[in-house]
Amino acid sequence: MNDPIVSVTDLVKHYGSNTVLNKINFEVGAGEVFGLLGPNGAGKTTTLECLEGLRKPNGGTLQIAGCDPQTQEHSLRSLLGVQLQSSALPDSIKVSEALQLFCSWHGVAQRDDLIEKFGITPFLTKQFKQLSTGQKRRLLLVLALVNSPRVLILDEPTAGLDVQSRAQLHDEIRRIKQQGITVLLATHDMAEAEQLCDRIAIILNGKIAFSGTPQEVTAAGNGQTKITLRTAHGSLSASEAFSGTTFVQEKEGYLEWKTRDVAEAVTQILGKVKAANDTVEDLRVERPSLEERFLELVEGN
Amino acid sequence: MKAFLNYLWIQFKMDLRDRGTLLNFYLVPLVFFFVMGAVFSSVTPLMKTTLAATMTIFAITMGAVMGTPSPLVKMRESGTMRAFKVNGISASAILTVQALSAFIHLFLVAVIIYFVSPLVFHSQLPVSAGAYFAIVAIYLLACIGIGLLIGVIAPNQSTTTMFSMIVFLPSLLLSGIMFPANMLPAALMWLGRLFPATYALQSFSGLAFHLSTDINAAFSLILVATFCVIMFILAFLQLNNIRKNEQM
Repeated sequence: MNDPIVSVTDLVKHYGSNTVLNKINFEVGAGEVFGLLGPNGAGKTTTLECLEGLRKPNGGTLQIAGCDPQTQEHSLRSLLGVQLQSSALPDSIKVSEALQLFCSWHGVAQRDDLIEKFGITPFLTKQFKQLSTGQKRRLLLVLALVNSPRVLILDEPTAGLDVQSRAQLHDEIRRIKQQGITVLLATHDMAEAEQLCDRIAIILNGKIAFSGTPQEVTAAGNGQTKITLRTAHGSLSASEAFSGTTFVQEKEGYLEWKTRDVAEAVTQILGKVKAANDTVEDLRVERPSLEERFLELVEGN
Repeated sequence: MKAFLNYLWIQFKMDLRDRGTLLNFYLVPLVFFFVMGAVFSSVTPLMKTTLAATMTIFAITMGAVMGTPSPLVKMRESGTMRAFKVNGISASAILTVQALSAFIHLFLVAVIIYFVSPLVFHSQLPVSAGAYFAIVAIYLLACIGIGLLIGVIAPNQSTTTMFSMIVFLPSLLLSGIMFPANMLPAALMWLGRLFPATYALQSFSGLAFHLSTDINAAFSLILVATFCVIMFILAFLQLNNIRKNEQM
């Protein structure tokens, strides 16, 4: 991890008698894409809103590039870009006006580069209410970038989007990362977190249950890698035993095993196939997904 | 300052595009003016004299009390205020811009009524145009203050309409703009005196048209101005309260 640009230490937040965040700790390195994952009501949005200065924590310290969101709101606005979970603009504001408004309020010139890069030009004259959900999200992302922020907070940016719009937005987030902007991303979508995030933290019951790279998180679980094989002559049978593997099922000519040691298991299986003078028609190796690991953690809590 | 003026200009244009706002600020007040103007100008000579003033009070009350709160509540409900806040546009700036934009729209309506009344309904122009427009401005700000207060206290759109009606209907019926307040039963007459529309009419009659009034006209104008200040203070205090309680 590069030098931390965002640091959250012992963050506590209560809503009445309900403790939503109970000593949350994490750091985000400069230029990283950091994902916050968790079920509904876990506290992801509350954590982000404390960082955005929208909510006042009951305990702990927060820093964004050395700036305290609670006391240095003015400085915060110049280095932070935010796309809120439930964000909207007035129905009758035109896209060009929204850009003009936010640019002038941040004291920057019109960002024609962003308009071009994010393909906003075709709907510049449309009103906000006339945009599709995908276009609205893209516009809100552009608005979050007008002040050239060092840190970008995205709260479930792809929720409710179709596959194409989601893929477009993912590409845009990758481009943002390439520019060296640090991204904090709250999401429900495990595939999204796996694809986009350098590191993730899973929040459960107001605490960080696990954090690390997506690979570290999945590797730390009980999940086993699935190996599926189909051979030309069906030389292997269900009774075939390989050390360190568990046979799962035979279905439509495919044999399926589970193992922790993928290299050893695949070597053994291919050795058997060769020895039987058979050939491999199809071989698939599926590592446990982040989703499986996430569900495991949720059930464990 | 440039950013603020830019926002005000955008808000002004947005108001013209928004059907609800257009209806509350322009269409209903002006249609009412033309219909009721025809009726009033043929009922009594006194009503004809102060037609521009009574119709302006109606237009301002309608536009500011019915039209101003709803967009604010919608902005709170939809998350627009939060989206603006994280981009550095404070809730106070939003409230101020909404108020100023409404002021410009409704002042324009008051100017239209002022010039059209004598032409169409042969009503009299006020003796003092300066006093007339000063009262328009003060009463307009008082009504916008009420609108802002409703906009920050109403929890949702349906409650907003209810709160607005609670102010609008008595202002319309008990202030003396529809029929003389001294013809009302005493209880209703005193109820009417809780609303600034009553004092605005007294101010117009006494200070702009130089007619005799039931309540001292200068004192009435001071009451309207005081009402205006109180409403704005309450609206901004409530806004601060919402912000503190993280309800925005």
